[in-house]
Amino acid sequence: MKSKILFPIVVAILFLGLWDAVVIFSKTDIFPRPYQVFLGIVELVQRGLLLKYIVASLFRVSVGFVLAVLVGVPLGLLLGWFRPAFFALNPLIQIFRPISPIAWIPIAILWFHVDDRAPIFLIFLASVFPITVTAISAVQNIQPVYVRAAENFRLNQFDLFRRVIFPACLPQIITGLRIALGISWLVVVAAEMIAVNSGLGYLIIDARNAGKRYDLVVAGMLMIGVIGLMLDLLIRGLERFDEVRWGYSQRD
Amino acid sequence: MSSSGKILGGVVVLWLVLIALLHATLNLHLFEPKQSGTNAPFRVGFIPVTCHLTCPVTDFINKQMKGKSEFEPIRFQGFPELKEAFISGYLPATFILAPMAMRLREDGVPIKIVYLGHRDGSAMVVHRESLIYRIEDLRGKKIAVPSRFANQRLLVVKALKEHGVPLDSVQIVELAPPDMPAALYSRSVDAITSGEPFMGQAEMEGYGRVLYLTKDVWPNFISCVLAVREDAIRNNRAMVQRLIDGISKSGKWLDEKMDHRMEAAEFVGQNYYNQNPELLRFVLSKPPDRVKYTNLLVRKNDFLEIEALAKETGVLKGKVTFADYADPSFVLSEESIEPYAWDYKK
Repeated sequence: MKSKILFPIVVAILFLGLWDAVVIFSKTDIFPRPYQVFLGIVELVQRGLLLKYIVASLFRVSVGFVLAVLVGVPLGLLLGWFRPAFFALNPLIQIFRPISPIAWIPIAILWFHVDDRAPIFLIFLASVFPITVTAISAVQNIQPVYVRAAENFRLNQFDLFRRVIFPACLPQIITGLRIALGISWLVVVAAEMIAVNSGLGYLIIDARNAGKRYDLVVAGMLMIGVIGLMLDLLIRGLERFDEVRWGYSQRD
Repeated sequence: MSSSGKILGGVVVLWLVLIALLHATLNLHLFEPKQSGTNAPFRVGFIPVTCHLTCPVTDFINKQMKGKSEFEPIRFQGFPELKEAFISGYLPATFILAPMAMRLREDGVPIKIVYLGHRDGSAMVVHRESLIYRIEDLRGKKIAVPSRFANQRLLVVKALKEHGVPLDSVQIVELAPPDMPAALYSRSVDAITSGEPFMGQAEMEGYGRVLYLTKDVWPNFISCVLAVREDAIRNNRAMVQRLIDGISKSGKWLDEKMDHRMEAAEFVGQNYYNQNPELLRFVLSKPPDRVKYTNLLVRKNDFLEIEALAKETGVLKGKVTFADYADPSFVLSEESIEPYAWDYKK
């Protein structure tokens, strides 16, 4: 247990020391030292911007991600179960899936202008495909014994989905959600490059405007990283629910 | 649904409500009392460059004088996003590169140039330690411009031509103006040219040296103009007129005395551009005619010159004429413009 806390701290300190040393050694006057980044964060707090920007980014990611879950999970379950629908739609999904959300920026501005809807749309796009694809493969790889048992109980289609397929797929779906949440947080910087005027991504873009404020650029990166870590810890918490844990215990 | 599923659903909904409320309060200011006169504000797009300075100045002075502004300046980071917001109809008016506006007209966008943003106000900056001292020395070098539709690019073409340097002997790349100082510092390009204050930034921080100021190569150079959608002129001509009146009065105010420019550097830097006021003071005063905000009427001859260069370099096809892309009817004479009678109080 001690190494679980101590080791990461030691590595973090080593990393900061190395960073500082490299900046001093290279004599750059552009790239900030760790304490300058810290001062940058303090400045953001004092100006009341940090909380605002974190809230803005979390709002966009939350809405975009939840929409993606609401669309992606049912869609994936259905496509995984009904083969003809899968054959019909899968090529389309596979074409859309590799298109980076950044490529959608021009279209997002045309459709949704430059308010919150455009970044939410981009985050939705980034996360809906991984969620759908994991749900599809979860259904397709379901153990036949569950389905046969359900057939013996003469469950109707709706109950089959609700009581057998969905619970059986849940562990895999949660893994998919975890990946998708990571991606949507990853996309937040690009999504906020659109002319919204808040958010951690915006902080980085705006710092470039402000002249030599690379301390704020790195501060923004750092905040994105730290919050990303917390989001991941949070969604990992889902894996502890009984409904999901059985899926993992098999692997132990 | 299992009980833990219900709890989880509840937590998610609660989180969404909470984060939406926080966002609405902190960023969208939805819960603050609305200003009187609830007409939707007239949006005007701009980029934080001195070429667009009259936009925030007009907004600020209006707010100070009347307590509110009927215009809403919308800041963009680069021209592609600004152009898209204009095409989509989100922006009824915007500051934009002159050749870009003309090209949009060719592409069928209902755009009219109604006033100029500024004159001069640009430079070409090279690295302090480079051996580029004359325009001829640019042969074989890499030059960054803000956009293929930027007048700065046409200016480079003009300057090279006049000094007998073939265009294909230089490499012209597109780079967003805020990224230019860093690109020059790291010497990934040999020369940068865009609107201020990014040229001044490289100069002020010591690694940039001015090769030319635009005023020395192309006197009365125009890079950005104020453009309005035709439907806005048709449906809301009075509003467009008030906008142009405000922009032209701001220009006069800025050029009235140096003190005004120093004040503008402060309130624009802090409230609109998020730039160091010191930097804006530098580019607005060194030298004082580095950028000008008077003599901004839309005149045919200026645009014929731009048109000719733009056609030569393939930016324009030549399908549209001055009458198509410009509407000079809003300001008829320079003398009719009075500066804002307003003094800045901290």
